[in-house]
Formats: sequence, C-alpha cells, structure tokens
Amino acid sequence: MSARMTEPVVALSHITKRFGDFIAVNDLSFALARGSILGFLGPNGAGKTTTLRMMLGIFPPDTGTIRVLGRDVGQVRERIGYLPEERGLYKRMRADAAIAYIATLKGMRRGAALARARELLKEFGLGDFAQVRIEGLSKGMAQKVQLLSAVVHDPEFVILDEPFSGLDPVNQTELEAFIRKLAGEGKTILFSTHTMQHAERLCDRLLILAKGTKRFEGTLEEARGLLPRRARIGGEGDLSFLARLPGVTRATPPAQGQPHWLLDLKEGDDGRALLAACFARGVPLTHFDVSPPELHDVFVALVGAGPQKAAA
Amino acid sequence: MTHAFLIARQEFIKYVTRRGFWLSILMFPLWIMIVIFVPQWTGGGHDNAPHALTIVDRSGGFYRDAILQQVAQDTEDRELAAAAHYAAAFVDFGQLPRSTAQMLAKPDTVQARRAYRSLGMVVLVDEMTAALKPGAPFFGPPGARFIYVPPSRELLAARGAALDFAVTRTLRDGDGPLDIDAVVVIPEGFGPDSADGAQFWRGKNESDLRALVTDSLTLALRLAVAQRYAPVLRNRDMLTPAVIDTLSGPAILDIRNPNRAGGRETSMDSIVPIALAIILFVVSVMNSSVLLQGVVEEKSTRMIEVLLSCATPREITSGKLIGVIAVALATLLIWAAVFLALITLVSQDQAAMILTSLKAVVSLGTLPLLIVYFLCGLLIYGTLFLAIGSMASSLADAQSLLGPSMLILMLPNLLIAPVMRDPNGPLATAFSWIPIYTPFFMMLRISSHPPLWQIWATAALAIATTAAMIVWTGRIFARHVLTTERPPALGVLLRGLLGRRG
Repeated sequence: MSARMTEPVVALSHITKRFGDFIAVNDLSFALARGSILGFLGPNGAGKTTTLRMMLGIFPPDTGTIRVLGRDVGQVRERIGYLPEERGLYKRMRADAAIAYIATLKGMRRGAALARARELLKEFGLGDFAQVRIEGLSKGMAQKVQLLSAVVHDPEFVILDEPFSGLDPVNQTELEAFIRKLAGEGKTILFSTHTMQHAERLCDRLLILAKGTKRFEGTLEEARGLLPRRARIGGEGDLSFLARLPGVTRATPPAQGQPHWLLDLKEGDDGRALLAACFARGVPLTHFDVSPPELHDVFVALVGAGPQKAAA
Repeated sequence: MTHAFLIARQEFIKYVTRRGFWLSILMFPLWIMIVIFVPQWTGGGHDNAPHALTIVDRSGGFYRDAILQQVAQDTEDRELAAAAHYAAAFVDFGQLPRSTAQMLAKPDTVQARRAYRSLGMVVLVDEMTAALKPGAPFFGPPGARFIYVPPSRELLAARGAALDFAVTRTLRDGDGPLDIDAVVVIPEGFGPDSADGAQFWRGKNESDLRALVTDSLTLALRLAVAQRYAPVLRNRDMLTPAVIDTLSGPAILDIRNPNRAGGRETSMDSIVPIALAIILFVVSVMNSSVLLQGVVEEKSTRMIEVLLSCATPREITSGKLIGVIAVALATLLIWAAVFLALITLVSQDQAAMILTSLKAVVSLGTLPLLIVYFLCGLLIYGTLFLAIGSMASSLADAQSLLGPSMLILMLPNLLIAPVMRDPNGPLATAFSWIPIYTPFFMMLRISSHPPLWQIWATAALAIATTAAMIVWTGRIFARHVLTTERPPALGVLLRGLLGRRG
C-alpha cells in the first residue's frame, strides 16, 4: 500500500479554538482513515460545526495543527465537498447553474460542471427541474440540490453537517443510500449529527464531542462497551428477587406499557446468572434478553459525564 | 485570483438580472432629462428680465449684424406670438383687415413674419383695438428678451490681456444701471475657415444668449459660405443646404468665464463635473447597497459558508468588489447610451453641446485621473458597505450601522455649491485632502485646473486609503461574516483591524 493510501485523510492534533473567553473546541485530536465514515456526534454547542469549519479552512485554529489529505487545507479545498448545516443557495439561480457554480469554484470547467450538474439532477429525479430557480423548488428538492453541489466535483473527502435535518423519512433513507454509495466509491465521509440511529446505521467510527472536548472516539461496538449490558426479563410470579442479585446494579419493575423488569448489569456481566437464578426458583419466563446499550444511552451518559472520566 | 473572478462573474450576473437594476438604470437618465428640460419647457429656467449683450466684432461687422438681426427677429416673433394669442381670445377677426387676420391666424409662417415687419406693432395694436370684443382687456406687447448694448471704447480698443480685463470689468460693472449678461468677441478673420472661434464671455444670466449667438453665427457662416462659393460655381444649384452645412458647420463658441484664470472654459464646465461627482455618488451608493444586501442575504441563507469552503475571505471580498466595479461600469455605459439617445431625440443641439463639454473635461490628460478617482470612490463605498454587511446579522442591523456612515459620506453633496463657487479655494482644497472625499471633490475641481502637485498627491492618498480599506475589509469580513451576533463594539472592531485578538 502506498503512503498516500495509508496516511489519514484528516489529522487534527491538539486543536483549540476560542471566541473571546468562550472555548469552542478544546485540545481536540483525531484522525480519519481513507474510505471510512465517521459520525461526528455531540449536543448543540458541542463544537462540531466549529471543528468542521476549521477542517475546511474557514477558521484557523488558535493552537494545534490540521492536515487534510496530507496537506494544509488551503491547498486541497478543491478535493473537499461540504454540505453546511443550514442550507444556502442563491434563491434566484437555476438548479443546474447553482450546482455548476460551486463546481467551478471547486476547479471544474464551466461547461463540464453544467453537464455534470444536469447529469446528477437527472440521476436524483430532478431532471425536469434543472432550469427551475431554487426559490421555485420544494424544500426537499432544494436540499437535494445542495447535496449535489457538495459532491458534483467528485471530492475525495466529504463533510456533511447535519445532513438529515429537515428531511422526511423517505428522503432520509435515500440520503443514507447515497452516503453508502459515496463510501463505496472510496470517498471518506465525515458527518455530524445528533440523531443516533443514522450514526448507528452508517458509521464505521464515532467521535463524540461535548463542550468542545472529545468524550469518545472509536467504533460503535466500543461505544456500546462503555456502558454495562441491560437485561429485560418477564415472567409469572414475583420477580423482585432479581433486584437483590449481585450482578444487578439497578432494577426497574414493570410499569404501564413496560411489561418487563429492566435490569442494569454490572460491567462484564453477561446475564447468565440472572437466567440461572430464575431457573433455580422455578419461575416460568415469558421474556428474557440481554443486550448491549443503545448508542443513545451511551451518548447521554458520555455527554453528561466529565471529559476526563469518559474519554476513550 | 480565479476564484475572485468566478465570484465577480456570479456577482455581476446576480445584480444585472434583477428587475430593480434595470429599473434604476432607466430611471436615472430620465430623471436627469427631467432636471435639464422641465425647467426649460415650463419656463422655470428663465426670468423675465431682458438679457443684455455686447458684441465686439473685429471681422468687419458682418457677424455682429447677423446676431443683431437674430435679436430683432426674436423680439418680433415674441410680439407677433403674443398678439396672435391675444387676438384669438379678444379680437373679432371679421373686423380686421384681411391680411392682418391671416397674419394673426398663422403667426409662425414666413409670410406672417414679413407682414408683421411691414406693419409694425403700433399699427397692429390700432387695428386690433378697432376690432376688440366687448370687455377685452388692454393688450401689452411683451418686452424684448435680448438687448444689444454697443461696446465701450475701452472694449473696442483693447487687445490681448487688456481685452480680457476690459471684458471682465464690463461683465462685473455693467453699462450704467444695466447688467451685461454676455460679451461676444468675434476675432479678425473669423469665418468658415478660421481656426479661432468666437469668444463668448459668460455673465450672470447668459444661457439663452448663448443659444441665440450660436444659432445666429451658424446661419451667418452658412450665408458666408454661400456668398463665397456662389460666384465661382457655374451651377449654383450645387450649393444645396446640405453642401453649405458641410462647408460651414455649426458655429463653435469659445466659452469663457471672467472669474477663472485664463477665462477659458467649456460650455458646460460647471455642470459636467457636478454631474460626474453626482453620478459617482449615485453609482457607488446604488451598487454598494446591493453588495451589502447580498452579503446579509448570504449570511442569513448560509451561502457564505459554502463560499468560504471554496475560497479564501480575500478572494471572496475581491470577487465581490470586482463584481461591483463591473456592474458600475455597465451602469455608466448604459446610462451614457440611454441619456445620449434620449437627449439626441429631444434636442440635437443639446447633445452636441454635452459631447463638446465632455470632451473638454474628459481629455487624454484627465481621463486616467477620472478613472482613478472613480475607482477609488467606488471602492471606498464598496468596502465600507461590504464591511457593514459582514458585521450585520440582519438588514435592520446593517441599517443601524449604515445611517451614521451615510451622513459622513453624503457630506460632499452638501458642499457642491460652495466648492463650485470657488473650486480652488480653501474649503475645496481642505476637503480634497480627506481621502474618503478626495474622489468627489477632485472630480468637482478637475476642470478648474487645481495645482498639479495637489492632483497627484491627493490621488496617491486616495489610492493608499482605498488599498488600506480593502485590506481592513478583508479582515473584518474574515472575522465577522460567520457570526450571527450583533455588530461588534468599536474597540473590538479596531483591535480586529489592527490584527490583534479581541
């Protein structure tokens, strides 16, 4: 493998960014391997957009270094695609011209850019709307146009800031497929979101940010491994003895709409002891499962925790 | 710079495809036309006092007589027109002599003029009085619009600089109680082939006189051509009006102003610089406002973020400013074309006069300076508006910043009158050294021949200021264009301009 293929597409080293007295990003470091999809997670105000803007060269970091595609970002702008969180296009521009304009700024020739824009619009079912002004498109259509303008120039690295926000479920599914397609073509994708389901379905790796500080970086499995497993047990008779078992840290009895006992297990406990205890007491079970925590739970736990405690 | 030009192209297309752009483009020449012509059409541009004219004809008297004939003709036309107007309302045409009735019925014809000349005002009034309808008011014939005052001995005798002095004194002191509004000096040898034009020295109220003198000298030159060539041509039919026109051409007056060094000036030398300065102001404000709105819109739609992911802040600001320059130049070209087309349709004489005046102000020597002043003025406005747009999170925010800025920038418009009264005086000179005002004041002064060192030094200062404003605007843009907060405090802004962290 060549060095170009093995070097990270993005490498941030000890990045800090302040706005006045406010620390937006604090000593952030991470690297992103070529061809991967990184989910950039964090609550509002976590510093996600600021970090993305630094990666795009819109802001310089106060301290630390950023290398994108092995170079300073100013030298590789044309190899990056960017979809901003709040969609912005010139309302009076035609759809094809709007996409082509961004493409020309990314180094494509105008004729080729216009042809490629029309090709993409056709591919996305907007062929008949190529000559329509942005202000005449529906919100969903305009968002597609914006997305196409981020990838029209065939970038190696694509940054998508909250790409799913404002999309209906059908369009969300289409966008997920499109992101997978881009990854399949070898592009490296970084997208920020606070919708956990998308991250769970799409990402190879996750980076969780809160209050400007990295709280976690790793795979989905590694993230889930941060919290103990949870058991759901349903059966006939009194199951309150489960709360007193040594492997259980917290027990929630059945409530309205929740027919099972919910049992948080100690770290490393796989729940077999629970099953054995039920059998020993002759409890007829109607439901039993032990599952890793949802990413949502991990996210809430990490974001609520202090930075040093939860950092991977 | 590729990015800057791509952005400039986009800005240009964005602005010129707006309906408002074309409306404003077409409105301004119409507005200028209204300002020029409505007072003339409504008579508002004239006063009722007669304009007094003195003529020094060193060519023998032929051209003086031609002007005087035109003066007499003008008086006769006015009298006849007034009498016809009165008669139409108050005279019973059936009781008038037939020839008089015909004359009053069609006063614009050559026959009517001839009839009136042989009849005279006294007889005409007698005939009309005999045919008055009951209750008719008294008829008072209008006074002459132009009066000829023979030149003084001093004027007739003076030559060279003494003549300039004598003319200046005549225009300043008048002839007894009578103000002299213009002095015409026709040089020796004046004619269709002469290099020297007739001097027209402006007094206080000379605009109608100038047209009268131009018309009468043009007719006289045609007559001189006809008289010169008729005896030597076998076929006199060859002397068609078109041929005569070609040989004689229109009379070009050498307009002079006694208040200026050397006296010489173009026929509209006070109007052209004012027009240039006002056009600079209007073009700058118009296009810079659109620039500001565009930036605020890009901020609100987050398009600016997309642009910043493609180009540096300096490329974006450069592109936007180049775009504004392109739009401004297009505006000027379209305005010039529309204005000239309209004015040619309305009055070819006015069009010729304006072109002549423009040529005199916009010469090869002054053109580079005018371009520099124009670009500096435009860029100073453009950078200021761009900086305001990048700091404002909404149009309301922008307005709050724009208000005080406009008060400062509008100052030159309020000082046009005093500056034009004394273009090289202390007020005009002092304001010319304030870089943000330099383009406007130097445009106003350019035809008044300010000292050369002042021209180049103020131009250099304006260029340096413009360059600094471009750099500062780039910094403000980079620092504030992505913020959605209220505009920064002045101290924070100044620290940012100086490159310090705030």
